[in-house]
Amino acid sequence: MDFSLFLPNMVKLWTKYWHIFLLEGLKNTLILTCISVALGTVLGALVAMAKMSKSKIIRFLISIYIEVIRGTPILLQLYVFYFVLPNVFTFMKLSPFMWVSIALCVNSAAYVSEVIRSGIQAVDKGQAEAARSLGLSEKQTMMKIILPQAVRNILPALGNEFIMMLKETSLASTFFLGDLMTSYQIVKGATMLTLEPMTIIAIIYLCMTFPLSKIVERFEKKMANPNSYRKHKKLNKAK
Amino acid sequence: MKKFIAMLMALTIMLSLAACGAGSGNGDELKTVTEGKLTVALSPDFAPMEFVDPTKEGQDMYVGFDVTLSKFIAEELGLELVIMPMSFDACQTAVYAGTVDMSVSGFSWTEEREQNYNMSDYYHAGDNEDEQILITLASNGDKFATAEGLKGAKIGAQNASLQQSLTTEQLPDCELVIFTDIGTGVLQLKNGDFDCIAVADGNGEAIIASNPEIAKSGYKFFVDEKYTGNVILMQKGNDTLTELVNNILAKAEQYYDKWYEDAKSTAGIDVSYDDEGNAITE
Repeated sequence: MDFSLFLPNMVKLWTKYWHIFLLEGLKNTLILTCISVALGTVLGALVAMAKMSKSKIIRFLISIYIEVIRGTPILLQLYVFYFVLPNVFTFMKLSPFMWVSIALCVNSAAYVSEVIRSGIQAVDKGQAEAARSLGLSEKQTMMKIILPQAVRNILPALGNEFIMMLKETSLASTFFLGDLMTSYQIVKGATMLTLEPMTIIAIIYLCMTFPLSKIVERFEKKMANPNSYRKHKKLNKAK
Repeated sequence: MKKFIAMLMALTIMLSLAACGAGSGNGDELKTVTEGKLTVALSPDFAPMEFVDPTKEGQDMYVGFDVTLSKFIAEELGLELVIMPMSFDACQTAVYAGTVDMSVSGFSWTEEREQNYNMSDYYHAGDNEDEQILITLASNGDKFATAEGLKGAKIGAQNASLQQSLTTEQLPDCELVIFTDIGTGVLQLKNGDFDCIAVADGNGEAIIASNPEIAKSGYKFFVDEKYTGNVILMQKGNDTLTELVNNILAKAEQYYDKWYEDAKSTAGIDVSYDDEGNAITE
């Protein structure tokens, strides 16, 4: 393969199409990611609550939802939301962008709900038992004892979910929704060059995910054991 | 138990709603997916038939022969054109599911498509689209110009395309490799994964224009008359629309050559090379 034209072509594509990559692609990717993670987290929290509810029927229905979403490829889910649901719910006049956002939300909610549920259930049972025997109500136990400890497990995992979604929005390009992967397809279609625009969007994706994963990593350390982290920091400063 | 029955009822209602959605109007009145609009699915990665002009925005950025044709049809029907871009595979699903009214995306006639969709009469985008050829690395010279030289060669073709069936039928001694998208196919060709790829002549020229290391191999497929034109895909049973479209195609015929030349002059202008393969900078 001849790479002599690779760099000049990339520079040329960038100077000509940078606005497509940044103003269109990056913008839409971030919008899709933020919508799906924000709504997905809210929905996921509700789903996690339902999953731990006392009613058997609710628990059963929710586990079907979670199993179906986690057990099928996200691309397939996008097809269903894009082609099938608008035909079923004809009274809902939503744009394709909205349908795909909803699909991503529903997908993200299933994963987030499992993160939250496992985060809560990972808190030692003795904590709840102790709180209850000290006379706290069930609600108080949850709000004051369990949740504050569960957050430590949940937050770093949510950060990872954000990174995952950022990459998964690329599937929206199947329907040319203007995300980064779509800008690659647009430029590819106009210039018949493949490797060059691909490298450009790879760099843009990395510029977003690398700092994010570093932040999550730091967060994880801090959350894992807040005391030792603080001490460690102080010691470093003392040196 | 009560809850269970309520659930069952909810499910039944959902299913009956789904059944309602599936039925499409087949009266004499033309009904489109969105009232007053003609929704067309196409896969804008196939210059010069349909592609994106990155300098434009919104609906204007879709250009090419098929887009001009869709505009003409919408105008004749007195509807507003709405283009829904999606991948080539998804275009067929969209017509099947009734998400769009039709798909104008350089479809060739095949028997399988005839069984599952309503098809318009043929339209011809010019001689270039009717000819099907092989392209290969320029360094191969005319090694792959004849069926003899092609024996045992690896040939790439797009999935579910006419080129795929042509290769299977006419070059049985070659090894056929499938790819999903032309851009990836070109990359694989440059990478040495295939010896040649099968493309429509016009598409091949657009590829060669930006990839100076690729050239025509000299081999041409024999193309049966029924494959030479393109057709428009519509939902099975939507005869009202099909009839209207066929009437409009008869009117549009006189403009085909001009539209094709216009489309070609817009395509592939972005990166051009001189004879030695150096990029020309403006």
